[in-house]
Amino acid sequence: MTQQVQFTKAVGNANEINELLRRYGVKFGIYKNGVFNEQFFPFDPIPRVITAEDFKSMEKGLAQRVNALNEFLFDIYHEKKIVRDGVIPEDFIYISKGYLAECEGITPKNNVYSHISGIDLVQAKDGEWYILEDNLRIPSGASYPLIARDLTRIAAPQAFEENSIIDNRGYAELLKSTMEYVNCGGARAILTPGRYNAAYFEHSYLAELTGSVLVQNDELFVEDNILYHHTYSGGKSRIGVLYRRISDEYLDPLTFLPESLIGIPNLMEAYRSGNVAIINAPGNGVADDKGIYYFVPKMIKYYLGEEPILKNAPTYLPFYEKDMKYVMEHLDTLVIKDVAEAGGYGVVFGSDLTKEKLEEFRKTIIAEPRRFIAQEVIDFLDLPIVEGDETVMRKADLRAFVLSGEKTKVWASGLTRFSRNPDSFVVNSSQGGGFKDTWVLSR
Amino acid sequence: MGTISLEHSDRLYWLGRYTERFFTTMKALGRQFDKMIGTEHGYADYLNCFGLPDIYADNRDFIRRMLFDNGNAHSAAYSLERAYDNGIVLREEISTDSLSFLQMAKDTLTKAEQSSNVRLALLPLEDIVYGFWGSINEHIYDDEIRNIIYIGKTIERLDMYIRLKYPFDVVEKEFIRLLKNLNRVPKGTPYRYSTKYLSDLVEILGTEDDYRQGADKAVDSLGHLFETEEVPA
Amino acid sequence: MKHVNFFYSTKLTFDDYVHDHSFSLRIIPPETSTQHILSCSLNITPYIPTQQTIDAFKNNVTAGYIRDDHRFLDFEIKGSAQVDHTSYRTDYMPCYLYQSSYTKPGNELRSFHDSITEKCTGTPADKAKYLSNILAETVKYEKGFTDTATTAEQAFALKKGVCQDFSHILISLLRMEGIAARYIAGLAFCDGETHSWVEYWTGDRWEGVDPANNCSVNDDYIVISQGRDFRDCAIDRGVMFGKYTKQLQLVRSELT
Repeated sequence: MTQQVQFTKAVGNANEINELLRRYGVKFGIYKNGVFNEQFFPFDPIPRVITAEDFKSMEKGLAQRVNALNEFLFDIYHEKKIVRDGVIPEDFIYISKGYLAECEGITPKNNVYSHISGIDLVQAKDGEWYILEDNLRIPSGASYPLIARDLTRIAAPQAFEENSIIDNRGYAELLKSTMEYVNCGGARAILTPGRYNAAYFEHSYLAELTGSVLVQNDELFVEDNILYHHTYSGGKSRIGVLYRRISDEYLDPLTFLPESLIGIPNLMEAYRSGNVAIINAPGNGVADDKGIYYFVPKMIKYYLGEEPILKNAPTYLPFYEKDMKYVMEHLDTLVIKDVAEAGGYGVVFGSDLTKEKLEEFRKTIIAEPRRFIAQEVIDFLDLPIVEGDETVMRKADLRAFVLSGEKTKVWASGLTRFSRNPDSFVVNSSQGGGFKDTWVLSR
Repeated sequence: MGTISLEHSDRLYWLGRYTERFFTTMKALGRQFDKMIGTEHGYADYLNCFGLPDIYADNRDFIRRMLFDNGNAHSAAYSLERAYDNGIVLREEISTDSLSFLQMAKDTLTKAEQSSNVRLALLPLEDIVYGFWGSINEHIYDDEIRNIIYIGKTIERLDMYIRLKYPFDVVEKEFIRLLKNLNRVPKGTPYRYSTKYLSDLVEILGTEDDYRQGADKAVDSLGHLFETEEVPA
Repeated sequence: MKHVNFFYSTKLTFDDYVHDHSFSLRIIPPETSTQHILSCSLNITPYIPTQQTIDAFKNNVTAGYIRDDHRFLDFEIKGSAQVDHTSYRTDYMPCYLYQSSYTKPGNELRSFHDSITEKCTGTPADKAKYLSNILAETVKYEKGFTDTATTAEQAFALKKGVCQDFSHILISLLRMEGIAARYIAGLAFCDGETHSWVEYWTGDRWEGVDPANNCSVNDDYIVISQGRDFRDCAIDRGVMFGKYTKQLQLVRSELT
């Protein structure tokens, strides 16, 4: 891959664009000390630029990866050939919290499990892209670059005249057709836990753009194994596809957590009967688990018979003897991740540990080898961001969105998040990170 | 549009009411501001209209708290906040564009608080609210659903006008507007009004004399016309 | 081989009206290689249309929804079956090898397991027999100390419990031994309510053991449902709306 052209020019005035974003209510909610607060998601006006050539190979690589992951999910919830053939050890499937035995044997409409996949990548200093993580449950964030583009085009039209940038505003159409591809007959609906959810802006904005009904669980019910929406005139209207923004274990209190108050009773029966599509399919967590990540390149070979186009960050599984040896020898330079943890927890950099702690950690890994994966620390390519009057360099990642409908399509954009803290790798919005537009050049 | 839930229809109704309450409060306070120039404690008649106690230090304190104090349920800021609360969950119904006017109104009100000339700083709010209604008109395609928000708006306007003792001819016009709105409500929907309270209103708002004597009862009847409960924030 | 008539009924009574009541029942015995269902009828009052599906564990699920106000829900099942334990069930699922929410061991169960691991040897059948025996010595069958939410670890700490608890403890121990095991809910001649027992995987088939009675399973047992633990097998689960309502449940079952 070629080295990326670094774009260092701000597109429009940061304050102006942030003012516009405010005006359109681009917010995310966070809880601090139990109190709900809405914050604006700070936008940086220097775009990340991806060349046409780079994108071409990323596009192929991402579609390939998501296709393999979809095949894997179908296999795991049916015949489990990949386990039988010894490609993935059984333990890694069944100790994963994301594996849901309740979903065994269910075949989602058109075999699509991960309709909307958010694949997190980073670019190393040498220009190479590495996959950091797959998000196949409810990846969020597409709405931010979507609305930001709309606004930067108002604030700085010239930049779009001078550069050949692929318009990313077709995301809504793409999402709509992805939903329609699996629609089992009825309206499209987006299920939100409510306005006090961190991503409420996104839920309501995507509902508006795709012409879907935005619903909460108490407006829905299942009768005769069909999902309905209570309408205001006292009637009911059928929902054929439900893009839910609540996690699996809360979906249906009669199948999963009985204490869930935000679920829809018997939704799983309607789903099992093929009367409603659930986007993304319940049970996808087994495929985006940290332990399974290691096996994705093997999946690509196994299911598609192809060489993986995009690389994983070099990863070791202490479960394998050879890898254990390497991990023990290089513990001080590796990053270790606990497969059971998520959201930045359970991540330890060997270089941060004292000698004693390192020894202690060594013992923990030997005692529970299945619990950890180890990765080489990638030398990130930092991106420029505007801070006051100067431009500074910060860590950033890219969440690419891959939509699986009739064909697997990669959205020619993505969410570039950056850390505002110079030493931090944490790009999460809840940690004060911001976002950038992501330009994909057409030539 | 086709499907809208009962909760959303309640939200629309209250969005109409609070947006209008904000607007009318702001205009009434503007008028009061003018009246108070050169007086001390010149706001007693305003408080009387709403049966509120005088807890204000002076004219300036009254105006500021009535405009900007979020914690005061009779303030313009409070109504705007409640309008926004109802609006934020209606994005796909009323559109991001319509919602942006409420955000702009909030921002403008916040800015006005810092301004040395409050009345001047509030002027753009009028444009913003008219913009909001234009946007609502543009973006809600279903007549039946659009009618719900207008019913809320007109009921609120009548309620405020009667409390503020506006002249009969002004109130009468708004009442006729309400009757037209009510005529559009189809049978068999939850947005049916109480015919008992409607006939009370027809009686009270029939002549200027009845209006003068029956204002309290009119306000009460308006409150009962639609027994719809506010969805908690 | 044995011809068995079965009957089971539950009456749910609420002390105030409830509405928007969704429920799912796992109550219709499945057709398996050890039981052939000759007849089976399900009656639900108040009358409402219901839908049948088969869940991931091959249980028959009956789902329904009552929108209007009601104060009770009764359901009963009646039928007959031919039970024959000379054949075997072979419907294996790998998840049965792994601990589930009710069976996850804590310190009590883990140290107990450590203390017996030397004596627990032989084939899966030998181990299951040994574990069932030692449970009969260690845990006392006593009602009123545990409920449907009690986990294996909690019941084992109490050293008291009913059939559900015995099953969960045995499953937990078997899985710690690396033997796949599953929870069975059903009816048995020895029990006037619903009963539960355990099946373990021998390597090529399921074998039943009743830890509450410390005996093996024979033609006196009818399977209603199976799963990783009680959660997959609850006879009735429901969600309803109303004022604060207490619910009274009357259960009766019969095998003849």
